[in-house]
Order: sequence, then structure tokens, then C-alpha cells
Amino acid sequence: MENSKRGVKFYSKIYFKIIAQDIKSKLSYRADFFLSMLGMILINVSGAVGFWLIFQRFPEINGWTYHEMIFLYGFCLVSATPAQCLFDNNWVLRYAVYSGDFIKYCFRPINVFFYYISETFDLKGIWQFLFGLIAVIYAWNKLQIPLDAVNVLLFIIQSLSASLFAVAILNASAASCFWIENSFFILSLSSKLRDFAKYPVSIFSKPLRIILTFVVPIAFLAYYPCQSLLRPDAIPVLTWLTPVFGALFFVLSYKFWMTGAKRFNGTGS
Amino acid sequence: MIRVGFLDNMQFRLALAVQVIGNMIYLVLMYFLWKAIFDSSPVDTINGMTFEDTMIYLVLASAILEFIEMWIVWGVGRDVQSGQIVVDLLRPVNYRTNMFFTCFGGTIVNLIATFIPTMIVVYFVAGRAYALSWNLLWFFISLILSILINYYINFFTATITFYTESVWGINVAREVVVGVLSGATIPLAFFPDAFRKVAEILPFQGICNSPLTLLLGDGMAPSEVISILGVQLFWVVALSVVSGLFFKVSVRRITVNGG
Repeated sequence: MENSKRGVKFYSKIYFKIIAQDIKSKLSYRADFFLSMLGMILINVSGAVGFWLIFQRFPEINGWTYHEMIFLYGFCLVSATPAQCLFDNNWVLRYAVYSGDFIKYCFRPINVFFYYISETFDLKGIWQFLFGLIAVIYAWNKLQIPLDAVNVLLFIIQSLSASLFAVAILNASAASCFWIENSFFILSLSSKLRDFAKYPVSIFSKPLRIILTFVVPIAFLAYYPCQSLLRPDAIPVLTWLTPVFGALFFVLSYKFWMTGAKRFNGTGS
Repeated sequence: MIRVGFLDNMQFRLALAVQVIGNMIYLVLMYFLWKAIFDSSPVDTINGMTFEDTMIYLVLASAILEFIEMWIVWGVGRDVQSGQIVVDLLRPVNYRTNMFFTCFGGTIVNLIATFIPTMIVVYFVAGRAYALSWNLLWFFISLILSILINYYINFFTATITFYTESVWGINVAREVVVGVLSGATIPLAFFPDAFRKVAEILPFQGICNSPLTLLLGDGMAPSEVISILGVQLFWVVALSVVSGLFFKVSVRRITVNGG
């Protein structure tokens, strides 16, 4: 791939061109736009309602209060936004691979992963982001976390790092379709697991905690990154490593994806 | 037609295996979550449910939701978008009946392949989780009614796609409402009282809460059994009529792009 050496400027220019087309075509379906918005908001509300219902009967979960849980939940939604908005095309990767349409991406003189991913911008993710942000602000306020530049900066850095994990999990589970049929179940399993990111990992047993930290790193989607704001007195090492690990997992998932894409080339189906 | 649906589903054995493993991981996580919730609670029983009761209830509820899923909304949505639906409507078989039996085949496979094994495993793992007597009969009668309720809710939602020509939002809305109000995410017994009373009138609780109440409630009075089944039956009839009428009205104004 001699062309993968092209600069960031070149790619960002193409990116906005492709994305603009996608957004235009999506906005022309008004009903879909509004119903997707409704669906997204309902999902997010139901998550919050779940916490509210549990905390009607139970005072806390493993030392975590209602507002702390809302904070984790909001953080999860915010950090899932890049995966939702920018990498959403992963969800239909398997169709492109089975039907053979995927070959069209291989023939362009740009990075295959980049070209495939840039094709979709998922608008409904914006509602998830807004809802998550409101939840975080609400909990931030209730928990009386000092609102200073350091904390805001921490929040931004940590949510960006956490989003790398969300993208990595999505990339890796979508790319499984290059090897096995019916990979939808892997995608749906990983999204089911991601649902547990909103709970503190400390509730799980040790072997599970290790799996959720290093194998399917959902603990990094909210639990570890949030510690720097919620429990500033006892921050685990992994919290500080979130950005490093995030980058590492992202690169690994990218390599995995590309290996799969090359495999597709090879079979030439 | 049941056979076709049956064979269709049998093709995906690997998928079934992945599903089973996935569900097991999911259940383990759920176990720890609820254990943490109960451990943090000052009392052992909440509204008559212990930790074990809650786990049995939630495991079986998610197993019911899993095997009952018919993917109708996506199927119909796709047919509307592609225009295939016109061909199906022109066939000399009733569209609704045809769809029901095709889906029913798949549901029966799932019932035998995933739900009943789950039920047996739960029975032994949880140490005689439920009584083996008349309650099993009431449970399976109730389960058939819940399959029907779920089918009509699905069909109703699918009919909405005739107007919207989009699937994701409307289907997710259905999943969320069913998930919360059927008791599958949090048992109905944990709802605040006012909230629970509303949920108990709605049809959604007939999908998980009714059959499970009948299964887990040992030695229920016949009047109670009849009232639970009666409410379910009422919703089957009501939803069948409503979704049927809605379908009839909607079919007239269906627009298919270049079909």
C-alpha cells in the first residue's frame, strides 16, 4: 500500500467530502431521522430509568451511590459517541463481505479501513452524546466535584481515551466477519457486554475483572477513567494508563481489521 | 410452513453455539451485579423476592425474550423497502397468517434448542428452582399466550414501517418498552408501587412476568391462575384485533418505490 503514506491533510479533506454526502442523503429521510432520534433517546432514558428503579429499593451498589452511577452511565454514553457516530459502518461490514461488495473498497487508492469507515456518519449518535453529557453534568453538580480547569481537562482526556476502547471493541468484533460466517452474534455479544460498562467493575470477581480489563476492555469505558474524578483520593494505576492502553487497543484492532481485509483480497471472492 | 421456518433456523448451529456462550457470560455478569445489589441492601428479601428468586426470575425472563424474538420488524421493513412485500401480498394466502406460521416455526426451534435446556439447567443449578407440578402446565399455557402477545406487538410495530420506511428507531423503541415493562431488566416486584400497578395493566408484562409468576409461585389459588391467564388472553384478543385493523388500513396506502 504505497498510498497509505499520504498525509493527514489529504485524508481529512476526503473525509469531510464523503461524510457530507452521507449526512445529506440521511437528512433527506426526515421520518427516519426523527424516529432514530426517538429510539436513541428511549434507549438512553431506559438505562437511566433502570438505575432509578434499582435505587428506589436499594440505597447503594457496592459502595457506589445513585449519582456516582449516573455519572458512570453518562460517561459511558459520551465515550461511546465516536464509535457510534464515526465507526458505525462496522455494523454492516459483514453484509459487504458476504455479498462481495467489499471488493470496491479495495480498488481505491486510499486506505481500505479509512475509506470503509468514512462512508457513514451516524447522526443519532449525537443524541446519545447530548444525553450522556447532561447526565454527567447533572451528576457532577450533585456530587459537588470541583469545576476547575484541571477536572474539565481530565474529563476531556479521559473520555477521549475511553472512546478509543469503544472503537477498538467495535472494530475487532466487526472484523471477525472476515473469518467466520454469521458474525452478527459476536457484534451483538460485544454490545451486550458493553452494557455492563456502566457498572463499577469492582462488583465482579477477580478473574472476571482481569478479563474485563485486558481481554474485552469494557472496564476502561467508564470505570477506570472516571476514578480520576469520582475517587481522587485513591486513583488506581490503570486510570493513568487509560490513554496509553486506549491507543494500544485501537492500533491492535486496526491491525486485526486490516489483516482481515487482506485475507478478503486473497480469496478474491 | 412451520417446517420451513424450522429448517431455516437449523442452518445456524455455530451461531447458536456462540449465542449460548454469550448468554452464559452475560448471565455471570448479571449474577455479580445483582449479588452486589443485594449485598449492599440491609435486608435479604425485597418485596418477597430473595437473591435466588431474583436470579431465577431474571435468567428465565431473558431466556424468554431471547427465544421469542422473531425479527419480524426487520423482515417486514426490508420487504417494504425492497418492494418484495407486494409479491407477498398478492399471494393467495393471508399475509398475517403466513407470517405467523413461518415465525412460529423458528420460535419452536428456539424453544426446544435454547429455552427448555436453559430451564432444565436453571432447575438443577439453583437447586429445585421451581416446583414440578401443575405450575409447569400453567407456565406453558401462559408461554404460548406470551408468544402470541409478543407476535402481535411485533406485527403492529412492523406495520408502522409501512408509513416510516425506516426500521431501526421504531424497532428499538419496541425493544426498550418490552424490555423494561415485561420485567426482563428489573423484576416487576422491585418497581415502586404506583409504577408497578401501571405496568401490571399493560400487555408487556404478559410476555415475561405472567408466565414466570405462574412458574415460580408454588401452589397458587386457581382463581389467581385464572386471573393471570385471563389478562393475557384478553391482551391476545385485543392486540390481534387492533393490529389486524391497523394492518388493513395501512396496506391500502402502502407506497413502494419502483417495486
